[in-house]
Amino acid sequence: MSLTTVLGVATALFGVGLYGLLQRRSLVAMLISIELMLASIAINIIGLTALTGLDASVGQVVVLVMVGVAAAETAIALSLFVAVHRAAHTIDVEQLRELKG
Amino acid sequence: MTAPVLAAVVAQATPLAACLVILVTLRRQPAAAALLAIGSLVVALAAAAYLVAVVAVPNVHTLAQVVWLPISGSAGLAFGVLLDPLSTAMALVVAAVTLAVMVYSLGYMAGDPGFARYYGFLALFAWAMLGLVLASNLLQTLVFWELVGLASFLLIGFWFERPEPAAAARKAFVMTRIGDVGFLFGVLLLIRTMGNATIPNLLAAAEGGAFSPRFTALVAALLLMGVIGKSAQGPLFTWLPDAMEGPTPVSALLHSATMVAAGVYLVARLHGLFAAAPDVMRVLLWLALATALASATMAMVAADIKRVLAYSTISQLAYMLMALAAGSVAAGFFHLVTHAGFKALLFLSSGIFIHHAHSNEMKVIATRNPRSQRAGVIGLVSGSLALAGVIPFSGYFSKEAVLATLGARAGTAALVLAYAGAGLTAYYTFRMVFLTLRGARAPDVTDAHARAPGATAMAAPVLVLSALTLLLGWLGGWFAARLGAGEATHGPLAFGAGPLAALTLAALGIGLAWVEYGARGAARVGFVERVPALRDFFANNWYLDRLYAATVVRAGAALARAARWHDQTVLDGATDGFAAGTVGGGRILARLQNGYVQVYVAIAVSLLVALAVWLSGGLP
Amino acid sequence: MTATDLVFGASAAVALGGALLAVGLRNIFHNILGFALAMLGVAGIFLALGSDFLAAVFVLVYVGAVAIAMVYAVMLSHPLDQPPRARSVGKIAAAAAVAAAGAGGLWVVLRRAPWIAVTATAEESLAARAGWRFLTDYVLVFELISVLLLVAMMGAVMVARRSRSGTGSW
Repeated sequence: MSLTTVLGVATALFGVGLYGLLQRRSLVAMLISIELMLASIAINIIGLTALTGLDASVGQVVVLVMVGVAAAETAIALSLFVAVHRAAHTIDVEQLRELKG
Repeated sequence: MTAPVLAAVVAQATPLAACLVILVTLRRQPAAAALLAIGSLVVALAAAAYLVAVVAVPNVHTLAQVVWLPISGSAGLAFGVLLDPLSTAMALVVAAVTLAVMVYSLGYMAGDPGFARYYGFLALFAWAMLGLVLASNLLQTLVFWELVGLASFLLIGFWFERPEPAAAARKAFVMTRIGDVGFLFGVLLLIRTMGNATIPNLLAAAEGGAFSPRFTALVAALLLMGVIGKSAQGPLFTWLPDAMEGPTPVSALLHSATMVAAGVYLVARLHGLFAAAPDVMRVLLWLALATALASATMAMVAADIKRVLAYSTISQLAYMLMALAAGSVAAGFFHLVTHAGFKALLFLSSGIFIHHAHSNEMKVIATRNPRSQRAGVIGLVSGSLALAGVIPFSGYFSKEAVLATLGARAGTAALVLAYAGAGLTAYYTFRMVFLTLRGARAPDVTDAHARAPGATAMAAPVLVLSALTLLLGWLGGWFAARLGAGEATHGPLAFGAGPLAALTLAALGIGLAWVEYGARGAARVGFVERVPALRDFFANNWYLDRLYAATVVRAGAALARAARWHDQTVLDGATDGFAAGTVGGGRILARLQNGYVQVYVAIAVSLLVALAVWLSGGLP
Repeated sequence: MTATDLVFGASAAVALGGALLAVGLRNIFHNILGFALAMLGVAGIFLALGSDFLAAVFVLVYVGAVAIAMVYAVMLSHPLDQPPRARSVGKIAAAAAVAAAGAGGLWVVLRRAPWIAVTATAEESLAARAGWRFLTDYVLVFELISVLLLVAMMGAVMVARRSRSGTGSW
């Protein structure tokens, strides 16, 4: 469990999440991918504060704050998806193209 | 500013002011326009007369110049006046003839819708011509040279609604332009060598040997191109007969007395420079001689009275240039002055007949009771006697001076040909007189027209000029004293082989014309006109116009078509292609904004990562 | 290989496997379940790294709350009656390329950073120390998080509410 391994796992998880964000059509699937990316960042922070000279307690604080924010964001996002579905009758991101041009 | 300089400036400024005021504000007030123009010319004439009295009579030379555009590294652009007997005498001639023409035009152009515009253009011409005459440096001369050409264009094409005057104006302008290109290069060469030097400094340098002979010859040849164009000599003469489409007073002023004489004046003005290029002068002599004889042949078959006078102008200008080429400024200028007097007289007289008969054709005028126009008859006859060189009219004396110069300096062959030309001149001049005045008696249907309004305005200048033809001849000695530095002169009444031969030839010419045209029961057909091929050859300007149309005009039109193709296809195509490319590129770029969120995210993330990698030190 | 390494390795495998399921499977419910599995794996990684409290928090929040909320959202919005649409190969390839580039860039930056070596370890438990931090140095952040969560909940309710005058305009 060296720093390299931890960072590698985190990067791989980030890549998977990024792939899902770009490839999946459903808004909920995109949200899942975003959450995966956030989790990979959390792994990064914890790994760095545990295995290098950075202060571990500060790392904990940061990740806890991040979890809180992510939870709030997920709540709002999900209610937004419901509202979008009610208005446009779809949550397929390839059909929600009002920003064209 | 001394008084003479002030007078010179006033002489130029008043016609300019009149021109501007007329063309801007007085377009619909013909009477006021004419009054203003005539008034300005009276002032200019008074100033010119004063200058003659103060500068020419005592033979003073003054120059005053002011730099109006300083240029670092050189003297800058200057505007000034050069006052000496030559320039002041010429200024007086210009002002006098212009005033006479303006008064005459009160009658001739009465009722024309463009009356005010006409006087505005005449004032423009007066300003430009006086500016040219009084200019102190070559660049200034060039500017006024071009302005005179502009005035000529505007006045030839005065009745521009008709196609012939418009075409004639274009032809005149383009042809003189061809000559002006050479003139411009000559002036530029001189400026490059000497900066914007004043004319006296330029002449001193040329005479003092500051230039190499090749340079002097080159500059002289280039300047002569402008002279040839402006004075309708050599290959560039065909615009002058066509210029007769303009009103007759315009022909009298511009295309006989003054504007076409500007080329002659230039040679006289820069004589020191030309004298330093004797080979060029020899070419000029023979070119002028050929032109004199050729235009005489064309005058012998012309049916339009104004065309006869146009050809004779070309011929007489050639005589002036011959005298100058042979080396006598006095003789050439003397002939210029007398010619201005009698040629303007002839044109104005012919205008009286044209106005009365409503036609330019001599045979038609003859049927409409021309002899009722008394002033016209007096003018026509006295002017013709002067042109033919009959003593005691002015033309005799000046032509004698020219022939004497040729005899002294140009060689026998040239002299003989010049005499032949003089004989032809007498012949065609009186052919014109007899064709016009000795017609079949027609019933007097046009008598009611005899005292038409404006007749006085037309008659008065004619009578004044007729009187002058008897007086101007005595100025020969005066000119010789002031302009001829060390030339041999002979008194006006000196008799010798030369004058006798000239008078005999004149008598022969007049006699032949009488036999063919004037006598009762004469056939009224000339010996040349009996040969149709010759008649057509002479009548069509020796087919030179056709030659030009087939060569130069064709080439020019082809060049213009190529340029238009280039403009439309290459330049416009490139611009349009550039615009289309921009639009197309924009369309391609617009595909980035396609509304797909995932594309936006991909782009954003890629750029961010790239930025982070770059900031941390680039790719490993 | 120590026990920590073993735990770490297993948790990493679970996390990555769950992540792949979360993005790869067609059925959205399977995705959510994969997501929950991945979060369990992440919790295990935290345990291996010594953050026991954080591991517990992750399980509670993500697996227990976020995943369930997602299920609700799916039930309210997803077109579950329609068959899943065909996948375009081009899009897969492009997404994979960008993802690989992004991850690669990130890896480069992380490897280059000069991380300082570990210093002396502390006596107290990490959770306790973190608690101390929250109540002394970062108390403002703590309060702000509470406010944020409150506002988020209110906002979520407001956004998802049916408007009085019929359905909202788009």
